[in-house]
Amino acid sequence: MKNAFSVFLFFALTLFTSLPTEGSEYLQEIVRANDLYAEKHYAQSAEAYESLIHKGIRNGYLHYNLANAYIRMGKIGPAILNYVHARKWIPRDENLEANLKFAIQQSQDKIELPAPGTLSTLFFWSNDLNLNELIYLAIGLNFVFWISLSLWLYFPGLKIVRNALLCLLLVSFISIGVKRESGFKPAVVLTKRVEVKSGRAEDAVTLFQLHEGALLTVTDEHENWLEVRLNDEQKGWVPKNSMGH
Amino acid sequence: MKIFSGKIKALVFLFLVLNPVSQIFAQNISVTATVDKNSLTLEDVLQLSIVIKGTQNTPPPELPSLPDFRVVSAGTSSSTQYINTQRSVSITHNYQLAPMNTGTFVIGPARVRANGKTFSTQPITIAVQKPSGQKTTGNKNAFVVTTLSSKKAYIGEQLVYTFLLFHRIDAKNLNLSLPFDKTRFHKEELGEPKSFIKVVNGIQYHVQELSLALFPLEKGLHEIPASAIELDLLHPMRTRSSRDPFGQFFGQRARAEHKILRSEPLSIEVLPLPDGAPEGFANIIGHVTISAELGKKNLEVGGTTTLTVTVAGKGNVRDITFDEPDLKGYFKIYPDKPEFHQTVRNNQIEGKKVFKFALVPLEAGNRTLPKFSLPFFDPGKSQYSVAQTQPLSLNIKPSTTKEELNLVQSRQQNAPASKPEIEILGRDIFPIYTELDKFQNVRSHSPAFLATGFGSPVFLFIISAFLIKRQKRMKYDVAFYRHRNAYKNANQRLKKMSGPSDSSDPKEFGRELSEILREYVGNKLNRQGKAITAEEVETRLKEANYESAEATRELLEKCETLQFAPTTRGNTKELLSRAEDLIKLLEKQS
Repeated sequence: MKNAFSVFLFFALTLFTSLPTEGSEYLQEIVRANDLYAEKHYAQSAEAYESLIHKGIRNGYLHYNLANAYIRMGKIGPAILNYVHARKWIPRDENLEANLKFAIQQSQDKIELPAPGTLSTLFFWSNDLNLNELIYLAIGLNFVFWISLSLWLYFPGLKIVRNALLCLLLVSFISIGVKRESGFKPAVVLTKRVEVKSGRAEDAVTLFQLHEGALLTVTDEHENWLEVRLNDEQKGWVPKNSMGH
Repeated sequence: MKIFSGKIKALVFLFLVLNPVSQIFAQNISVTATVDKNSLTLEDVLQLSIVIKGTQNTPPPELPSLPDFRVVSAGTSSSTQYINTQRSVSITHNYQLAPMNTGTFVIGPARVRANGKTFSTQPITIAVQKPSGQKTTGNKNAFVVTTLSSKKAYIGEQLVYTFLLFHRIDAKNLNLSLPFDKTRFHKEELGEPKSFIKVVNGIQYHVQELSLALFPLEKGLHEIPASAIELDLLHPMRTRSSRDPFGQFFGQRARAEHKILRSEPLSIEVLPLPDGAPEGFANIIGHVTISAELGKKNLEVGGTTTLTVTVAGKGNVRDITFDEPDLKGYFKIYPDKPEFHQTVRNNQIEGKKVFKFALVPLEAGNRTLPKFSLPFFDPGKSQYSVAQTQPLSLNIKPSTTKEELNLVQSRQQNAPASKPEIEILGRDIFPIYTELDKFQNVRSHSPAFLATGFGSPVFLFIISAFLIKRQKRMKYDVAFYRHRNAYKNANQRLKKMSGPSDSSDPKEFGRELSEILREYVGNKLNRQGKAITAEEVETRLKEANYESAEATRELLEKCETLQFAPTTRGNTKELLSRAEDLIKLLEKQS
């Protein structure tokens, strides 16, 4: 028993202590990109940020800085796309919200972010927490719940606390599901203008036109076409290469 | 049976023949495209109808690419007809095509998918021409005219762009588009559209006039593109006699004709402002006047008077600003938020901006306030001018109260009630993040991490639940307690016996060893160990499937022999060793 516990402890500590810490090379690249931005070499700065993202670095602040560089370059579409990506990781960042609003105001169509759906409204805290934070919350609640269950074996009077914690644990699991599944899948127009078609063909009827920076929700994907929704009434197909998502 | 099968076949045949649904399936599907005309002008709209016969359950047709037309859906209509029990159905999809260019165009085949097949229409050739006699107003039912107040203008000078719609017959559903390049012109509206009647070439027209103020932003020769208006012209139809009393009652019927009327593009030469701008010129273009007045000209030190500077005139008066006047420390100055009023007179934008400064004199004496100057460029005269106020004098007397003026009191206490609005001067994004600790790579959690995070509490719970259960059993279950502690107790007692200080009396040794063995067996089997005999021990151990039952009996008998017929000390040590081995063996078997 003692040995089993020791093995478990070693395994757990190994996992927790191996949380991501990046090498100095990556951070040096960040410093270089930031310096390029400060020197107003926005194109090179954006290139440096992009290369880090292509290497698989996932960080909300990286997308935020990249979006700022694109705004300075006058590229509203990529800027809005990267602000939206950044929201996944830093959803409570006030600077990000302000810059995203600014970028949307700069776009021709001025399409705001869609309002959260029913589930997202019900589980409102999931809008302010990123997926990792929700997972940590669930792990924490999971620990507390099982500890309460152990205590309940000693003190049967803790039944109410046990049940309440079980409910909280279930809610935290559902929040993770809501965040993963019902979150809207955004797409941003990257070309100067895009025609939204009634079907997946160039010669299909053009339903409406959108311009760079227009924010849409992806509802379906088929080969080189994306089905996008603007609101409850307006949706159609656009070529995939004209959108960022 | 054969009779029934024959009747059933006949019924099925009748059902298939008479059932309308089967007839629908039997109908041939055909798709045709028609247009209301093959030749039209840029002012006209083409009606394209795609008729699908034989079914009504098809998705909308896929139209061909029509880059030279603006396509608007005009709805669908369906029809069902019964002729001699034959049912025929059709659905018509209507579109309005507004030509964008002149030339000969081919409307390619439209495709319709029905019953798993694709049907195509025949291509249609269309000729689009310029409207006839566009330059002259002629004898047309409607036409448009656009004018510009001047063909030359300076940057920032106001121009008046006027759009006029002339129509002899009623017009409705007006949709006007006035395209301007926002980078070259700033646009402001000049009030509501006007309606009046005008006679052109002896024909009376209703005229709708809309005027806009345009301010050129870039020098050079620019073109203002053609404006277009879409409308429905209502041609009266004389179907009823004018003597018919019901004619007036029901109103006159009219046929609507959809039209797109386009104006001619206009060109304008935008001139740069000439050199030699006076000092302080801040791109004010127009003609302005400036005046200043004081609320009180006689006041005491610590009193308050209001300096009002009013700028009025034509042009971009809204953009005029004044810094606080330099009063060399003789006054404390509290500027108020400027007020601006804009009016439109004879299609000319005029403005009036009022600046107010509250002045609090700090020293007694006669003071003269400096002039306010405003340089501007007058496009009417093509020259720069400077508007100036007259100098204003004040007589400041010493304060009659002894109270000293608090020179550092806050503005909110002393200043006249100013409007707490913040003027937004510019907008920009927040800066980038540079703190490196924010840039840690966020990785997805591995299944091992999630399994540990969510599984470890469960594992810990199982361990703790097991321990708790065992502890409770030890507390309340006597048999379990005795079973668990049997070996421990026996071992302790055996070790005690093997110690040097122990009794050397073989009789006592035999009794003690026998008791330890019987007590161990009693604890294991939850029985009163001390009272049972060696045979009984063997029987009970066999019942409990102990393999060493016989050996236990033998050892117990030896102990009894020693107890009642003592031998040498060497035998006791051997018995003790055997007893230890036996208890270990029994413990393994338990």
